[in-house]
Amino acid sequence: MKKRKILATLMTAAIIATSLAGCGSSSGGSGGSSNSGGSSGGSSDNSGSSGGVQEITWMFWDDLDATEDLISLGYKETIERFNKDYEGKYHVKPITTNLEEYYNKLNALVAANDTPDVFIVSPGPQLTDYVEPGVAAPLDDYLNKDGWKASFTSDAVFTQQTYDNKIYAVPLNTAAACCFYNTEMFEKAGAKVPTNWDEMIAACDKLQAAGYTPITISAGTAWCLSMVAGYLCEAEGVSLPKLADGSASWEDGKLESACNKLIQLSKYFQRTAAGDTNDVATANFYNGEAAILIQGSWVIGQINGASPEFEAKCGVFQFPGVERVIAKSDSLCMSSTSKCPDGAAALIKYFTDDTAQKYTAEKGGKIPVTKVQYDTAVAPKQLGYVMDVFGSAKGTFGFYNESMPTTETGAHFDDTMVAVFLGDLTPAAAAKDMEDYYKANCRK
Amino acid sequence: MSSSRPEAAVTAPGAVPASRKKKVSPISIVIYVFLVLICVTYILPLLWVFNVSFKTNKEIFTAPFALPQEITFDNYAFAWTAGHLGIATLNSLIVCVVALVLSTIIGSMAAFGIARMRWKGSKLAMTYFLTGMMIPIHCVLIPLFTRFAGIGLSNTLVGLILPYVTFSLPITIFIMTGFFTGLPNELIECACMEGANIFQIFFKICLPLSRTGLFVTGLMTFIGNWNELLLAMVFISDDEKKTLPVSLSKFVGPYNTNYSQMFAAIIIAIIPTIIVYCAFSNKIVDGLTAGAVKG
Amino acid sequence: MDKMLRNKVSILIFMLPAFLLFTFVLFIPIVQSVYYSFCEYKGMTDPVFIGFDNYTALFSDKTFGIAFKNSMFFLVFSCVSQLLMGLLYAVLLTNIKAGRNIFKNIIYLPCVLSSAALGLLWMFIFSPKLGINQLLEGMGIEDPPLWLMDTKGFITLPMWIIAFVALWQYVGQSMMLYMAQISGINKSLYEASYIDGCTKFKTFRYITLPLIRPMVATALSLNAIGSLKFFDLIFNMTEGGPNHKTEVLATHLYQQGFKYFKYGYASAIGVILLILCLLVTLFINKVVKTEQYEM
Repeated sequence: MKKRKILATLMTAAIIATSLAGCGSSSGGSGGSSNSGGSSGGSSDNSGSSGGVQEITWMFWDDLDATEDLISLGYKETIERFNKDYEGKYHVKPITTNLEEYYNKLNALVAANDTPDVFIVSPGPQLTDYVEPGVAAPLDDYLNKDGWKASFTSDAVFTQQTYDNKIYAVPLNTAAACCFYNTEMFEKAGAKVPTNWDEMIAACDKLQAAGYTPITISAGTAWCLSMVAGYLCEAEGVSLPKLADGSASWEDGKLESACNKLIQLSKYFQRTAAGDTNDVATANFYNGEAAILIQGSWVIGQINGASPEFEAKCGVFQFPGVERVIAKSDSLCMSSTSKCPDGAAALIKYFTDDTAQKYTAEKGGKIPVTKVQYDTAVAPKQLGYVMDVFGSAKGTFGFYNESMPTTETGAHFDDTMVAVFLGDLTPAAAAKDMEDYYKANCRK
Repeated sequence: MSSSRPEAAVTAPGAVPASRKKKVSPISIVIYVFLVLICVTYILPLLWVFNVSFKTNKEIFTAPFALPQEITFDNYAFAWTAGHLGIATLNSLIVCVVALVLSTIIGSMAAFGIARMRWKGSKLAMTYFLTGMMIPIHCVLIPLFTRFAGIGLSNTLVGLILPYVTFSLPITIFIMTGFFTGLPNELIECACMEGANIFQIFFKICLPLSRTGLFVTGLMTFIGNWNELLLAMVFISDDEKKTLPVSLSKFVGPYNTNYSQMFAAIIIAIIPTIIVYCAFSNKIVDGLTAGAVKG
Repeated sequence: MDKMLRNKVSILIFMLPAFLLFTFVLFIPIVQSVYYSFCEYKGMTDPVFIGFDNYTALFSDKTFGIAFKNSMFFLVFSCVSQLLMGLLYAVLLTNIKAGRNIFKNIIYLPCVLSSAALGLLWMFIFSPKLGINQLLEGMGIEDPPLWLMDTKGFITLPMWIIAFVALWQYVGQSMMLYMAQISGINKSLYEASYIDGCTKFKTFRYITLPLIRPMVATALSLNAIGSLKFFDLIFNMTEGGPNHKTEVLATHLYQQGFKYFKYGYASAIGVILLILCLLVTLFINKVVKTEQYEM
């Protein structure tokens, strides 16, 4: 009997051991499997268990290993470079999620008092969400050191990142939303590159008459459609700040006529636009199934990556009828509770150094934020066109869904625009819906 | 169609002569055709995704139904390593095995206490545990999350194991109580006479005799936890600690999705379950049925 | 022996681990959740008591209305469809002579697979560019429906699709339960009924149905709770879209809680969900489970 008792005890012990081993092996595996495979370091502990190496956590919205996005791959290179250069001093540990889950996860970490040292944020209400409660630290001290700030193209790149004269995030690159078009199809259909709304409609008519699908777009991915709606609203003169403080109303007819234009334009969309995701819409374009793609310039890498021969026949024009372009920059924030602020700042700086910025332009196809000289011959052709559009524009504005008072409001705008496109809401009803939503949630 | 069933139940035991004649009635042809069609809806989608998982992104968009141009395992290799599916599988395994062992032990102990020990509160305790079956996991998500974040359990596998064990307890207790109640009284009396203490009776006599029950509850817990998405998604943010269902979403990038690898990942996620299922299918199905009927 | 079974210390040892886990991981969080539902709680700041404001806000929340409607639809649909199809499959399968196990195993298979993976799979099958629409167009059908993006009607097409996919995935569960119960019915009952001259239909109506009634109650409660908790498939197929038309309570809770960090509001949704689960279980057990027949 005694033997059995021992056996039972042993069993229990074994169970406990397994559970402990389970936890142990999981945490032990953390460093080894991450892309750079360096030493895992002692979590965010400043003293560091492995020979004084300080770990810097860096949070991003794409998986660096599984991604095909050229910009994400560039970030991966930058981090590897940083880890190599600072070997024995700092080590970066990336935390990645997909974009959908990104802010959920980031907020979760903030709430758990485990804010990553450096994290990416979209300028706009999202950034405000982290600046106001003091989660993000001001970066002026670092920017003013060693002429870092002077390396940027101008102080204007920090406009969206500045609160109360303090800069809370560093932009890494800029992408502009443009119309990409298939020059071959335009030629065959005899269509002209449009500069205003009527010419746009005329061009689409010609493309359609020639048997092409004029525009490919995704309403399955709501922000794609909402981006076009943003341009149409801009053309009508909608002012988001005025709407937010209540000095303007959504029901003043501007949104309504923008929606009417959206419906007019939707006649030229591919038949499956309502269900197609962003990727499918883009694939339609580079597979030669549609003539125009309205997208952010980050799509250049995707197009050229999937279909290199397409580069030669891909043109770019500004969305007709608007003077400003929609621009978006990836920006990095530093945690105010970082145990290693110097390392974090050094890391951010690596993303804006010449090597990284060159990559941004030449391979990633995004607009660099610094005065770096890059090889225009190597850079994708489309980038040059985008730069032209960018240069001739009279300023920039943000994505509509990222320029509204809260993230949820932005999502609501996206949904409303999709509803208009699907015919669930009339333009007038959409305007009323937005106004009601603003009254209930946005104006105090 | 349903009206034909009692007949079969009657004829089945003594149906030898009928089946020897191999007389196929039209109604049974209809039934077979119907069942085969149903099964096709089960197998075709799986075959489709299997086929697609060998293609490149471009092939997927241009010819989703054609056979792949060449069979390569690149997608799989990529999903396994770069997509962290390898480590995710390991994590899933760790979490599920530990949760399985713990919930079975703790659950059957409580079930034994309820079924066999004599105390006033046993009925009440049973009700207390059974209410757990009605509680959706969503209701405790937020408090658990904030609590776990406060004590450093968020983003750890232990933080997943604890709720998994807890949510497996009601069904374990439910089924095991049934099994323990069914054990003959004499057994325990006998063991008691021989001088066994209560823990020996439990571990050496009652548990082994309820193997079927253990198997069933173990399976149910394991499958349930293996597939659990919501908790794992909320609690875990580290790549190295993600479980399999959560890792599937990795292939959705900010501006583009990696379709071919995602399909490979889907296959990786379901293949182990399918293999285990095929190997033990009859045992699993019968076991689950036995468990369900007991309850 | 009696003394041993009444030993307070051993009872404590048997019950304590389960009790502690259950209380700390399930019961206390629920109480907390109820408290949060009366609070303004945004995650980064401490909860502030605001009375019934969250609940009144629910009434003016259009998405909550849609989610509630969809959850109810889903509840009714899955209970009815799983009852009918589960019974049908069970009756057919207990009726056929050859291949019963194969059919049974195939139909049960998706129950053990990850619904996250299956959700992705079905999402692709119903996406316009990759899946069945390509086939339909190949067959010459122009303008096939946009399965997951349609928004017309009281219950939208995507909701029906999701409901059918859920039926596809989980009907095996109900089928197994009914099969187990049917094969447990004493054959002599049927023989007797035939001798008495009952038709097949009457036998089914008056013998099979009453005898499997307790199992109907069990299966229905499982279905009902399962469908109220329903999350994985929707999350991976539509994520509640287009324009929240396929939102259910669980996805709305997740969005409000973990996308927009309105913990208090999400807790209120969770409390509603909890109440619904309790009510539905009580209702089913009251109405369906009347008395146990001796088999």
